[in-house]
Amino acid sequence: MTQKMQPDTRSRSQRKVPIMPAVDFPHGARVEVQVGRVHIAVFNINGEYFALYGRCPHQSAPLSRGRLQGTVICSEETCWETKWVHDGEVLVCPGHGMEYHVRSGKAFGYDLKLRTYEVVVEEGQVTLVL
Amino acid sequence: MESDGPLVKVRKVEASYNPVQDEDLDQFGKELSELTIVDVDVHVDDTLMFMLDYMEGHFRKRLETVLQADFKGEPGNSLRNMIAHIAWLGSSYDKPPRAKLAAKEDLLARMEKGIIDYSILFPSELLPIGYLPEPEWAASLAKAYNQYMVDAYQNTKGVKIAIVVAPQHPASAAEEIDRHASHPDVVSVCLPDVGVNPPIGDEKYEPIYAAAARHSLPISFHGIEALIHDNYPLRVAHFHTLMQVNSMGFPFTSMLQIMSVVCAGIPVRFPNLKFAVLEAGLTWMPFIMYRLDAAYLRYRTELPALEKKPSEYIRDWYIGTHELEALPRRGDLVKLIELYQGQDTTMWASDWPHLERDLIAGFMRYEMDETLRRKILGENALEFFGLTPPK
Repeated sequence: MTQKMQPDTRSRSQRKVPIMPAVDFPHGARVEVQVGRVHIAVFNINGEYFALYGRCPHQSAPLSRGRLQGTVICSEETCWETKWVHDGEVLVCPGHGMEYHVRSGKAFGYDLKLRTYEVVVEEGQVTLVL
Repeated sequence: MESDGPLVKVRKVEASYNPVQDEDLDQFGKELSELTIVDVDVHVDDTLMFMLDYMEGHFRKRLETVLQADFKGEPGNSLRNMIAHIAWLGSSYDKPPRAKLAAKEDLLARMEKGIIDYSILFPSELLPIGYLPEPEWAASLAKAYNQYMVDAYQNTKGVKIAIVVAPQHPASAAEEIDRHASHPDVVSVCLPDVGVNPPIGDEKYEPIYAAAARHSLPISFHGIEALIHDNYPLRVAHFHTLMQVNSMGFPFTSMLQIMSVVCAGIPVRFPNLKFAVLEAGLTWMPFIMYRLDAAYLRYRTELPALEKKPSEYIRDWYIGTHELEALPRRGDLVKLIELYQGQDTTMWASDWPHLERDLIAGFMRYEMDETLRRKILGENALEFFGLTPPK
């Protein structure tokens, strides 16, 4: 499912989908955008917009409804100490708790990355670039 | 919106602990509404407070004492939390969605979607009942639970009840079966299989099987997650994380109990008795069936009551899909079911609304022919619980 969502190497024209005026989409707000059959979750975190593929590959729960918090990591970088990181930027699937970094779409603990989408503000409109 | 592109819909949403309690059904609404759907593992709010009015004598006073305590769990005063999650409180940083307790209205709202034809209610609060060391107390709680559930949920369209019995008090368990078996909304007897010692095939439990067989009431074994109990493989002494306990606890307990029942020859003594295993997933079924068959070659004389190989008894057991393992390929579930010969015995179960509940998409993602899909989603459960086909 996710592989089909990764057309990075395919050249095609960009499509812009206006979502709503930026004034209506403040920090802390989130929307679900459905483009055809594809659901996309869009978040405003401290004025930055993030858009990710909106269905969890596990059992298709709606990621737009997930909570944003931090998570724990333990790696060579942390000298194998457990640390709390990415506070406010970890999207937790409301279905069963799979976690995704909103910046990259990468799932914590899985070899899996959700497609992410560029979001721009043009003429006061929050706009998805597909 | 561009006119030549696909339709775009934008919807403001809120973060939620539990947004997908039953919205997941809508995704397949049209496809599923044509089929008979039986959800064979559904839970409603049955916390201890509901049982108070049904308790008698000094046990009523005792339950009042329990209800005054604050165990800092969710919900408070929960038997499950007293002996389950407290050991690992907070270990997952609250990431898995909270187990919302479903009130009767929540259940009715889910049923009113018109997708699920039958919901079979299994206990939540009393699943660890087999662990309680005092047989009289356990039996008293089971009796109160059963009467409460019958009073609260009888004559509710599409809702059926599995009564629970306290295995450590077989005489009382048999009485409970005798009391409720003829009720049209009671469709199974739930034998909680966790913490039960000795294992559930022991001679001690014969009155329970005899009563269920007498009334042709099928028996369902339903597991529960972590309990603080040092009796491996029934429990947890050798693990230090909840994930390990949760992953191994359910299937290990189920394998132990199936082995115990089959090796004790109970299916031979009570040939009309039907069994199901719930909440343990599916993947271990081939393992226990054929591992026992291999050993049976050498040790058959230890089990002189058996008239055929262990796997030929176990393949008659019904099994709930929850917690459905995430198999890597879409054709894998069919292969697995073929291995344990479960085409006529596998039943879809969600465990709604518990935190580990399966969304129906988790089942629908697997490829299979429509005949098998119909059987798993409903027809096998109609057969097991003796339900009237709704459509």
